[in-house]
Amino acid sequence: MKIVIDPTRCQGHGTCAALLAEYIEMDKWHFPILNRNQLSESHLEAAKKAVQLCPELAIKIIED
Amino acid sequence: MTDSTSTSIMAPSGARRLTLGWEASWKTSNPEIAFAGDSQGRMRLSLSEHISNYGRIPTGFTYSLVSDSLRVANLTGRGGAKFPFYKKLAAVYEADRKKGCYVVANGAESEPLSIKDSLLLKTNPHLVIDGLVMVAEVLGAKGVYIYVKDKEAHSAVNSALRERRERGFTEAKVSVIDAPATYVAGQETSVIRRIEKGPAVPKFSIDRVAVSGVKGQPTLLSNVETFAHLGLILRFGADWYRSGRSGFDSGSRLVSVSGAVDRPGLYEVSSGVAIGDILREAKAHSVRALLVGGYFGGWLNVRDENDLRVAYDDFTLGDKKLSIGAGILGVLSKETCPVVEAASIVDYLAEQSAGQCGPCINGLPEISTAFARIALSSNIDRGISELKAVIPLVERRGGCQHPDGVIAHVRSTVAAFGDEIKLHKAGKCSVASSNHHSMLLPKKAQGNLAAASGR
Repeated sequence: MKIVIDPTRCQGHGTCAALLAEYIEMDKWHFPILNRNQLSESHLEAAKKAVQLCPELAIKIIED
Repeated sequence: MTDSTSTSIMAPSGARRLTLGWEASWKTSNPEIAFAGDSQGRMRLSLSEHISNYGRIPTGFTYSLVSDSLRVANLTGRGGAKFPFYKKLAAVYEADRKKGCYVVANGAESEPLSIKDSLLLKTNPHLVIDGLVMVAEVLGAKGVYIYVKDKEAHSAVNSALRERRERGFTEAKVSVIDAPATYVAGQETSVIRRIEKGPAVPKFSIDRVAVSGVKGQPTLLSNVETFAHLGLILRFGADWYRSGRSGFDSGSRLVSVSGAVDRPGLYEVSSGVAIGDILREAKAHSVRALLVGGYFGGWLNVRDENDLRVAYDDFTLGDKKLSIGAGILGVLSKETCPVVEAASIVDYLAEQSAGQCGPCINGLPEISTAFARIALSSNIDRGISELKAVIPLVERRGGCQHPDGVIAHVRSTVAAFGDEIKLHKAGKCSVASSNHHSMLLPKKAQGNLAAASGR
């Protein structure tokens, strides 16, 4: 499974970075940088929560 | 197609592939180069003229026949990505087409220095339509579109389509869609959105357009010139198209030449002619530098004649980290500092962001400001360190290729004009005058550079 962020939707709310600090950091403009996208099983719940809570529906989990 | 008055035409001899029709008045001193003029005063070839020039396009093509011809002809997409067209076709053919597929000819031509696509559509729309409907038939396409840049191209294509209907051609129905005059309107996903009646701005997609394009279905999208070449290859054969040439490139290309030349306009050149030969026909003078490929292309530093001996094909240009791109040659004379010109273009591109993605909205103005410091010698070390810091925050983080294209332009400038930047560092410039009037920017985009450096 992979994390994907749609940069055209993202408005930099930062919810995903708060929930998935191991994967996502915020840049100096407060937009997410995806440092790695292969999602491990142990972070699946946090990732699902990030998907649910993103106000712009910009983050997705996809099967690879 | 049911028209039975099919005229058989022999393949023309000679090296030229004649994408724009054959007219004696286009002769230049070089048989490998034809001059097609500018956008003014050229007439559209009617269907009768088209058929008497080229003959009817043969019918009864199968996928494997088209695919083989394209592979042998070595036809690459003419929008700038230089991707082998048979591979693109295969990706659509092999995708899940149960819900239909689409074929799109992209004539948005959003590179301001390009005139080829709209001139091709205005003068020779039937050749583009021939290639387009043939490929649409082979794929069993549900929708076929031509995306056009201006009113003249729109009406030329519409008239051509009307002629074909009146002649009783039974072929795929083609719809004409207008592109807005923005830089990002020509991006693949912008085209798709516009066809879906949305705004012509890029959308983010994990899948390629070949798999998920119009309405999420497989879509064959290529530059209008690509389809015109297809119209020739399917008539006269891949071997004729190649005319004994081997290697990466084959056939001819349309080239828009602008800047410091006395004969600007559209040229059709055989693959592999020297850039210097094209510039000779265009009557270029005191060449300082050359923008190759367009704003998303790169720079050639011209120190002497030898720098112009390079062959105009992607194989040779690739050695210099350049690419034919959208078929643009922008000539800069010795009266203009190339770094200043590049910085003006980068500033223009920064303003052309669709404004959707954070890194592009925030990063491009910072890149432009830093670059302007280098160009205007205001604070070069600071400019360089700012560029080094901001580029990694922007690169590959946009929803389309726009920010990466801007970064490529910056990198190419730095790579090509190290000598000039050194001069700037010493408080000098190879150009004496402080005139920052750009030679290669649209008129309406002039004069923002000083402001950019002060941001």
